[in-house]
Amino acid sequence: MAGERLKEIAEWALDRFAVKPIEKSLMDRRVAKGAWYYGDGAALFLLFNVLLFTGAFLSLSYNPSMEGAYPSVRYITDNQTLGWFVRGLHYWSAGLMVVMLVFHLFRQILAGGYKSPREGTWLIGVLLFFAVIATSLLGYVLRWDERAIYGLRVALNLLYRVPLIGESLVLVVQGGPHIGSQTLPRIYAVHVIFVPLLLLALIGYHMYLVVMHGITGPTERTRPVASSEEQRRLYKADALSEERGETFFPYTAAKSGAMAGVVFLVVLVLTLVLGPGRLYPEANLVEPSFPVEEWWWSWYSALAALLPPRLATAFYLGFPVVLFLFLVALPFLDRSPRRGLRNRPVAVAFVSICVIAILSLSSLRARSPWTAFPRAEPPPVPDGVVLSPQAEQGRHLFAQFGCNSCHPIDGHGAQFARDLAATRNVLSHAEFRRYILDPPEAIAMPSYAGRLTDEELNRIVDFLMHVQITRHR
Amino acid sequence: MERRTLLTTLVHGGSALVGAVIGLSALITGIYPALRGRRGERWRPLGRLEQFLVGRTQAAVIEHADEGEPRPLSRQGVYVWRPTAEEVVVFSRSCTDLGCPVIWDAGSRCFFCPCHGGIFARDGKRMAGPPDRELYRYASRVREGVLEVDVYSVPPMA
Repeated sequence: MAGERLKEIAEWALDRFAVKPIEKSLMDRRVAKGAWYYGDGAALFLLFNVLLFTGAFLSLSYNPSMEGAYPSVRYITDNQTLGWFVRGLHYWSAGLMVVMLVFHLFRQILAGGYKSPREGTWLIGVLLFFAVIATSLLGYVLRWDERAIYGLRVALNLLYRVPLIGESLVLVVQGGPHIGSQTLPRIYAVHVIFVPLLLLALIGYHMYLVVMHGITGPTERTRPVASSEEQRRLYKADALSEERGETFFPYTAAKSGAMAGVVFLVVLVLTLVLGPGRLYPEANLVEPSFPVEEWWWSWYSALAALLPPRLATAFYLGFPVVLFLFLVALPFLDRSPRRGLRNRPVAVAFVSICVIAILSLSSLRARSPWTAFPRAEPPPVPDGVVLSPQAEQGRHLFAQFGCNSCHPIDGHGAQFARDLAATRNVLSHAEFRRYILDPPEAIAMPSYAGRLTDEELNRIVDFLMHVQITRHR
Repeated sequence: MERRTLLTTLVHGGSALVGAVIGLSALITGIYPALRGRRGERWRPLGRLEQFLVGRTQAAVIEHADEGEPRPLSRQGVYVWRPTAEEVVVFSRSCTDLGCPVIWDAGSRCFFCPCHGGIFARDGKRMAGPPDRELYRYASRVREGVLEVDVYSVPPMA
């Protein structure tokens, strides 16, 4: 009797809340089967929801004022029960979202996922890509530590290079003539209100278009498709077929959900093992600092370091603009009927080059061989080298005159200039002296003429003479 | 005019009008910092001139405290170089590439940028790395023995 009644209530609810039409048109619909990695979209959707949820709860305690921001992040991390965990989930979801976004983008390029009739889905996706990338920078500015303020200053320096309105853009973002009390509320508003609202709308629309136009189906991937009419016919046949199609719920949902679950597991493990993003000292413009961007920007940072100065402005402004235009134009440039990665060697080559470039530039950034920095400590004496008392004095002078700010000795110290324990040609005492007093024009080394006494110069050269062949022995 | 056409025009026009009133006013007030520009007291003291030794490059701090800015960004580091008794040069700490804080190395007498390998000479000239111009120099003056800088003489983010 009670069972009958419950069933009636359920029926009533399904009818009055109009659940059935949704169920019928979304859950019970037939779709073409996709490969396991088609779950990357579901993974992105899950990460976005994790970010919304954890972000909302972080904002309960976060204080977007210049004085309060850093202490509040510290408080969340160190004092609030599970605060570190929620912050960690937010941080790692953000990082993985960038990774998955690039994966998703590359997959669509490989398969030709932007081809008719899915140009609209692709274009909304391009907007999503840029919105997520932008907010991934703003998020870590909110931590308001040294990494945050210099991340913000990088963005401001990029904006300053925009012709004509550069300075105005900087003032709008800063909220005033310098980074001050108006700055953080603006960043906060954009990160927690403007961008999430935009993302919600765009993601909703993107998913609506995925429902309407489907995914790149099995038949499309194997044979050329000339028109959107042909695609629609093939997709429908795929969806309805027994072996190439399936019902969205639970079959497709389970498969995509599995990948999303795996990605979430990675977020969970990274949070538990590494914790939330590291907090540097509070943002300030006085202390010496060694700022490093978040890891998902490393490759870009490496590019910035390797650029010749002439190209700096063109690259900084041109890269995002050209990337945007390229992505927008892609469906209209690539008119070939071939879809699926097996039929698209150019796309495969292009994506492979991009992936290799991103990974190798990131690894180069991790080593950063291009940064010089003052060091008080003289370099250690290389193994097996015995210094004369004069050379030992030279070793200390080597640090005192900042030689070790650029030159490593047997791998120790800054890697900016040549390792003087591994000189290519063995130099004589006189040659070393000449080089130090009058370095070649093309070398970024200051002349020490007039700075060193003859005695000091000789001691430094004594040291160099002792170590210069260490590596060759 | 047909009733249908008139109503369509009214709906479109009305929506556009409401959108314009809200959108434009919000946008204008949002970009107010750019409309306002850089106003307020531009000269800030750095300290008495004699504390900056001839031939040396020293760190100094601009205090923005008079604007009621809260800590910790009320203080901004700069470098002061005094090549001769008559001449004072005040450099921004902001690397001209992407704004990382350059650090003075008294040993080699160079400014190093910690980010991408920018190196500047003692006089601010670029020596290495991606920067495409020399270090920003503040306009400065000496009033009653106090070295002052014009904070608006360098770009707003410098």
